[in-house]
Amino acid sequence: METLYNFLEKNSLYIVLIIVLLVWIGIFSFAYKLDKKVKKLEESIKE
Amino acid sequence: MKNFWKFLLFVLMTIVIIGTFVPPIVQYPKSFFEFPLIPGLEDKARIIFFHVPTAWLTVLAYLLAMFYGIRYLKRKDMYDDIKSVSAAALGFVFCILATVTGSVWAKFTWGSFWHWDPRETSIFILLLIYGAYFALRSALDSEEKRARLSAIYSIIAFLTTPFFIFIMPRLMIGLHPGSLEIDPATGQVRASSNPVIKFEMAANMRVVFFLSLIAFTILFFWFWNLAHRILKLEHVSQKEI
Amino acid sequence: MKKIFYIFYKDFSSELRMRFALNALIMFVVVAVSTILFSLGSESVAPNVYAGMFWVVVFFSAMSGLSRVFVSEEERGTTLILSLIANPVTVFLGKFLFNLVLIFFINSVIALLYMFLFQEFLIQNWNSFLLAYVLGNFGISASSTIIAAIISKANVKGTLYPVLAFPVLLPLILMLIEITKSAMEGNPISDVEAELLVLISYDVVMITASILVFDIIWRD
Repeated sequence: METLYNFLEKNSLYIVLIIVLLVWIGIFSFAYKLDKKVKKLEESIKE
Repeated sequence: MKNFWKFLLFVLMTIVIIGTFVPPIVQYPKSFFEFPLIPGLEDKARIIFFHVPTAWLTVLAYLLAMFYGIRYLKRKDMYDDIKSVSAAALGFVFCILATVTGSVWAKFTWGSFWHWDPRETSIFILLLIYGAYFALRSALDSEEKRARLSAIYSIIAFLTTPFFIFIMPRLMIGLHPGSLEIDPATGQVRASSNPVIKFEMAANMRVVFFLSLIAFTILFFWFWNLAHRILKLEHVSQKEI
Repeated sequence: MKKIFYIFYKDFSSELRMRFALNALIMFVVVAVSTILFSLGSESVAPNVYAGMFWVVVFFSAMSGLSRVFVSEEERGTTLILSLIANPVTVFLGKFLFNLVLIFFINSVIALLYMFLFQEFLIQNWNSFLLAYVLGNFGISASSTIIAAIISKANVKGTLYPVLAFPVLLPLILMLIEITKSAMEGNPISDVEAELLVLISYDVVMITASILVFDIIWRD
């Protein structure tokens, strides 16, 4: 943990990378949630 | 032509991602793709292309949720409420993102995850308001009541925001760009000397920044559109049953 | 105008008859203050901590007591009758008045307890403290009445109330803490002029906005 912190402190570009990844995770999880809703909708229409 | 926006979004986001990581940071930028060095920030200055748009979308989503809430109260159209709640759901996601990305960055720049600086406090309040909004919605079972009361709550909660704009700078020392600080010696408000607060974007950074704002705004409207269309379908299919 | 007092009087007399809300509230204040006493022991802390703790107790006792005004109507099923005999503005002002009296009473109890139990809780500038106290009570009462009206329609009333009220009341509480701190340090009233102006504008905005939107909540 300590070494990771030091590494990130020296190579701060990777902090930006982490932030971009976090934003991507957020957008992805929203899309995933939408997909699940559509699936539920499809099932309810099929019945 | 209808899909033009999606291609524009694709192109813009690609440019923003490249613009965030590729340009080298040098002391004296000579060509257009070099960013100037800011002592104390270095590579960390690049966060602005991803952190600020999420915060902007949080606010935009809140305003849209309130706007459609008020429109619901006027027209009693259920689709206005659906638009309002999907804007709020998306705003909540971006609010969490703005908070988390900000605090990860703060850990490495300011030393700890949370500082209660004015902007941090206001995003925290916004997070609470979003949370309260959804808590209220889940506690009401009738559809009509849910739409009406959550619209009213969004208005009441919005009324307190101007106070935060006036209060926060008086109570706390800001750490974000553009903040003022209180001179400990004279008690006067002055522009701060901190590198983050003095931060001013170079022209080429500004271009990437505004492209990023546009790209994220298009992304927001796209997802919002998808979300409220799906909720509308759900609403219609529930009515048929 | 008369009807406002009738509604106020109705709530007031039923409260006096039952008194369980009031008793529970006083017990709540006693418990909260004694918890603070236990946790402090014999240590003395900075004045701003006392100012903060004072308004924290006020906030939470307001949260536990002020939601009753509309919830009790809803529980007894008298909402419909009330909406037939009086127009929404009258109902709101009557309830607001009742909450105002209740919060004034509770806050006075808390303030007296603080003055007796904490030697360090010394107000040096009474003018600014009393101004903040009055304006703060108006603000707390206005926003908690409107939130109580929203909450009375929901399923889980008790837990939802502080969640909804906290973001709305936070600017008020922060200002009150600032002014109380300054009053405890004995600074002149001109020091907290801006804070007092914010308090006044908060009260005006909250009361007008509540009257405007209450109509929509009340009509079922």
